[in-house]
Amino acid sequence: MSIKLNSFVVADPHKCIGCKVCEVVCAVEHLDRECKTVGTIDAPLLPKLFLVKTPKVTMPIQCRHCEDAPCANVCPVAAISEVDNKILVDEKICVGCKTCMMACPFGAMDLVPRYQDGQVIMQEVLTTETEDGVVQKEAMVANKCDLCVGRVEGPACIQACPAQALELIAPHKEKRKRNVAAALNLMDSVKKFMS
Amino acid sequence: MIEIDQELCTGCRRCNEVCPVDAIEGLQGAPQQINHDKCVNCGQCVQICSVYASAFDEDISPREEKIQERGLLTTVKEPLFAAYYQGQARGAQQMLSDSNVYTMVQCAPAVRMAIGEEFGMLLGSLTPGKLAAALRKLGFDRIYDTNFAADLAIMEEGSELIERVTTNGVLPMFTSCCPAWVKFVEQQYPELIPHLSSCKSPQQMAGAMFKTYGAKVDGVAATKVCSVAVMPCTCKQFEAKRSEMADSGQRDVDLVLTTRELAYLIKAAGIDFTTLREEGFDKPMGTYTGAGNIFGATGGVMEAAVRTGYELITKEAIPDVNLECIRGGEGVRRTSVTVGDLELKLVVVAGLKHVIPLLEAVKAGKADFHFMEVMTCPLGCISGGGQPKILWPGQREHAVTSRKESIYEHDRNLKVRKSHENPEIKKIYKNFLGEPLGHESHHLLHTTYQARR
Repeated sequence: MSIKLNSFVVADPHKCIGCKVCEVVCAVEHLDRECKTVGTIDAPLLPKLFLVKTPKVTMPIQCRHCEDAPCANVCPVAAISEVDNKILVDEKICVGCKTCMMACPFGAMDLVPRYQDGQVIMQEVLTTETEDGVVQKEAMVANKCDLCVGRVEGPACIQACPAQALELIAPHKEKRKRNVAAALNLMDSVKKFMS
Repeated sequence: MIEIDQELCTGCRRCNEVCPVDAIEGLQGAPQQINHDKCVNCGQCVQICSVYASAFDEDISPREEKIQERGLLTTVKEPLFAAYYQGQARGAQQMLSDSNVYTMVQCAPAVRMAIGEEFGMLLGSLTPGKLAAALRKLGFDRIYDTNFAADLAIMEEGSELIERVTTNGVLPMFTSCCPAWVKFVEQQYPELIPHLSSCKSPQQMAGAMFKTYGAKVDGVAATKVCSVAVMPCTCKQFEAKRSEMADSGQRDVDLVLTTRELAYLIKAAGIDFTTLREEGFDKPMGTYTGAGNIFGATGGVMEAAVRTGYELITKEAIPDVNLECIRGGEGVRRTSVTVGDLELKLVVVAGLKHVIPLLEAVKAGKADFHFMEVMTCPLGCISGGGQPKILWPGQREHAVTSRKESIYEHDRNLKVRKSHENPEIKKIYKNFLGEPLGHESHHLLHTTYQARR
């Protein structure tokens, strides 16, 4: 059995300009239908990566697809599992308990309502009291990066970023690249030392 | 009229990259401001802005407040972005529910090859029939067309060019149908104002005709007429509000909607645009030619003017009505057309930033051309700031080229393709205006400009 580490998308904070294009295309690619213009969107945008903007740093944060995924380990209904080297949420099973949110060290997990044809999907039984009286409560589900599973072009965020700030990291490849760089560095310094 | 929401803007400054006049000011990473003295309201910033208001951000004011602030219909569900245009859709909705007003609407050429996109149709879908049907369903009393007024503009502007060329008038002449370009000349190159054609834009010609000729045709008082323009443009509202634009005795155009805003109104009225049966525009001012229609793409005004100018001067039919040499892309296109004894030298500029070297040449007396068309937006009105906003940055180019293909397809398929052959144009000169550049035309269809510095 070959050992393959899960890939993940990570942003370069030195390149990111904070334009949120990644969030927009992420949300659009995960809609229940194809939307090309803003006017065709009739529900809130629900991206699976989240721009962080503080005085010190600007970059989106998204799921690391951890090998020992805390979110999956704590999920009481086994709604989170690893499929084909990706940590994925099964929205149909998720009960919205938020344990995964608590467990994720990156804050990469969100809890959001689901929409179909512009209408929020309601729970079958549970109701809630509001100003308008007792109404059905919307279904809230765990929402996080799925690496655009099934999308031929790969993750939408990487493709759309105008600053080329996002990259799909294949950990072993990245490691080998760094090994080579370190070796070359070492060779250079040895040369210097010898001369 | 173009604003940047200070709560939302992250200071990515992508808007600054597309602003043709450097009107967007601010530090990288900090909310940007618009310098309204420089801004020409082209709305390219509105098109590119991708910083949206998250539904879960508790640090920003609620969506309802933003909807109010932006003058949007409360029924609008789409996400809100930092750079926005303050429209007039609410006013239009109110006006349509007022039974005391007589409403006349006009649609710019580029609206009919883009509005379908807002209802999930393919990018660049050509839908003039559905557009007319939707406007009728919304309750407009007369469904007229800016394309008709574009034909009228050609009659006037073509005649003006001929007059300038033959009487040693101020040359080169500049087109005047793009209000952002006109504002730019007024504020940055006021000394070149005499080069601007005195013709109003088709929107304003239509407005002036609605409240005079149109009111007369329908036997209604001009004071009862409310004239609405649907435009791909975020600067047309500014143009309609100019003090000069009241030659009919009233405001020539009362309200301006963008393509996006018309889509809001259609959705709010519960009209299913995609399944509408095609209908026609109303006579007399809804009758148009292919020449009027191509105004929506860069080079279109020039091509339409040459189709007519050639025949008016030589009294012969133009050898080929398709003037491919004029149809350019973003940037500067130079070409020439032989008309009788004259070699007419033409320049077409798409994208306002490309015009500056040419204006400097004109200023220095080194201009070697007769006529220059300038459109502020990258490929003309089809890429206007009021057009449907494309979600994927990579699809923007495809959208604009598809709209362009549709505009020329529509031109090819129209029976009449030269403005001077439009039967209703012939009639309007015979019955109402007299002749191009005549007394009535001069009063209703021509205008003056103001130095803004």
